[in-house]
Amino acid sequence: MGKDVFEIVVNCVKMLLIFLVMVQLVPILVWLERRVSAFMQNRFGPNRVGPLGLIQLLADAVKFLFKEPFFPEKGMAVMYYGAPIMALIPGALALAAIPLGAPFHLEQFTWLGREWGPYDFIMQGYDFGVGIVIVLGVSSLGAYSLLMAGWGSSNKYSLLGALRASAQMVSYELALGLSLVGILMVFNTFSFYDIIAQQTGMPLTFNFFGKVHSIAWLPNWGIFFNPLGALIFFCASFAETNRLPFDLPEAEGELVAGFHTEYGGFALLMFYIGEYGHMMVASALMATFYFGGYTIPYVANESVANWVSSGGLATHPNWAAFLTSLIFFLVFLLKVFLFLLIYIWVRWTLPRFRYDQLMDLGWKTMLPWALFNTVLTAVWLAFSHRPV
Amino acid sequence: MLSSADFLFYFLGLVSLVFGLGVVLFRNPIYSALCLVITMISVAGIFGTLDAWFIAGVQLIVYAGAVTVLFVMVLMLFDLKHEMKTFSKGVIGNGVKLAASGVLLGMLGTYIWATYATEPTFKPLPAAATSSIKATKDLATSLFTTYIFSFEVIGILLLVIAVGAVTLSRITGGTHHAD
Repeated sequence: MGKDVFEIVVNCVKMLLIFLVMVQLVPILVWLERRVSAFMQNRFGPNRVGPLGLIQLLADAVKFLFKEPFFPEKGMAVMYYGAPIMALIPGALALAAIPLGAPFHLEQFTWLGREWGPYDFIMQGYDFGVGIVIVLGVSSLGAYSLLMAGWGSSNKYSLLGALRASAQMVSYELALGLSLVGILMVFNTFSFYDIIAQQTGMPLTFNFFGKVHSIAWLPNWGIFFNPLGALIFFCASFAETNRLPFDLPEAEGELVAGFHTEYGGFALLMFYIGEYGHMMVASALMATFYFGGYTIPYVANESVANWVSSGGLATHPNWAAFLTSLIFFLVFLLKVFLFLLIYIWVRWTLPRFRYDQLMDLGWKTMLPWALFNTVLTAVWLAFSHRPV
Repeated sequence: MLSSADFLFYFLGLVSLVFGLGVVLFRNPIYSALCLVITMISVAGIFGTLDAWFIAGVQLIVYAGAVTVLFVMVLMLFDLKHEMKTFSKGVIGNGVKLAASGVLLGMLGTYIWATYATEPTFKPLPAAATSSIKATKDLATSLFTTYIFSFEVIGILLLVIAVGAVTLSRITGGTHHAD
């Protein structure tokens, strides 16, 4: 936690901030979803309330808060009320385990009449060193919120939705986990910081039959080492987040609203936050593994620090360090937003799969291809470092 | 005074024990399965207090995330009232259940009684094992060299269980409809 009051307080505030980032990005994403879908379908979308329709979100929040909460007659209270809370936990915990910006170092400083520091802070809730294993483990608990909601509602549509959801999540988790094995073999580590550090630097450098080659105009990103794995990971993450084209758990044409049929008001909002939280985690993992994390392509990390300290933005080195980290955080957020936009784009482009198509895609297409990707990466790694 | 690591250990141990009891004592199988999830998560937390974060993560992915989700899913497909009625009757069946749990408890009790007074004989950890990637590497090396036989035997055991489950699902009577 920390060695003195300052560090403990900063770490606690950091956890809270990461949770709030997740929660506060949801209205913006909802707004984006409406506006982008309207743009794609040649409509206007909500544009009456406030500039660009942004105040509409506030009206929505008020509506969610003031709706009457209700409880199904034969429902199970523990599960019915527990499910929305359970929906928030995995997303928030997983997001807290991903580095959102470069770690920064604070020199010793005087504040409130005593000496503090030096400190090292990470732009991340917690770091156990095995990064991705914990993220996958925590986010795999997301299925329980759907199962609890489906069972606790005591409604056939809810139950069917929950069963579909859990079958789908378990099936696609395999492909999701296996698709990451390739990139983990390339980087040879579990730690997010090591993975990002290996993707920093400008020319794309790789070994081929023992000789070092480089392509000068490409950044050193994971996607160039493992494009197939990236594709499978991104597709499987759609199924994990229950988004279209994989939103069979809440197929409204067949199941009313699936597992959250019996929910309304704030509880429903919490399910939405959980879903968007999963999207953010998937996008953040995509950015971290395949697109260089918080680093900026074509710009060295040191030159950002130099630019901040020499440009007169911050005079004190501590503020400069913090500001540098903040710039990296914004870069990371930009990358995450690009992937979130792709999520929205796909949702409004592709139709929903049929259930047997979904299972076929998961078990007969993605899983074999993910296995093939693992084997291919292993063979490639074995040969590329060996001279002919 | 408890240190924070001690507190975490006792807290997680208590949680896993209480919810482990819940698995056995709840009459509703869904609640039992959800108790099992919490037990799994707290066991993962205990692995975490031992700095075995890789095993903690794998525990979450495999047991809490995949296996128990399947448990809960399959339980939801059953006609639970019928299952509870047929599973809970019969003197012989109850006798067998009592005998089996007695044997298990006896084994556990004997083991605890035989070992609790002696000092634990842990092999000292190599100094570098605290680094996560090194620890994971050590784990993989010992799993695939020293313990390869038990590893493979467990694989065969799981195969036998799968075959047994398929066989059991094909017989009628007991908790199954004779149709």
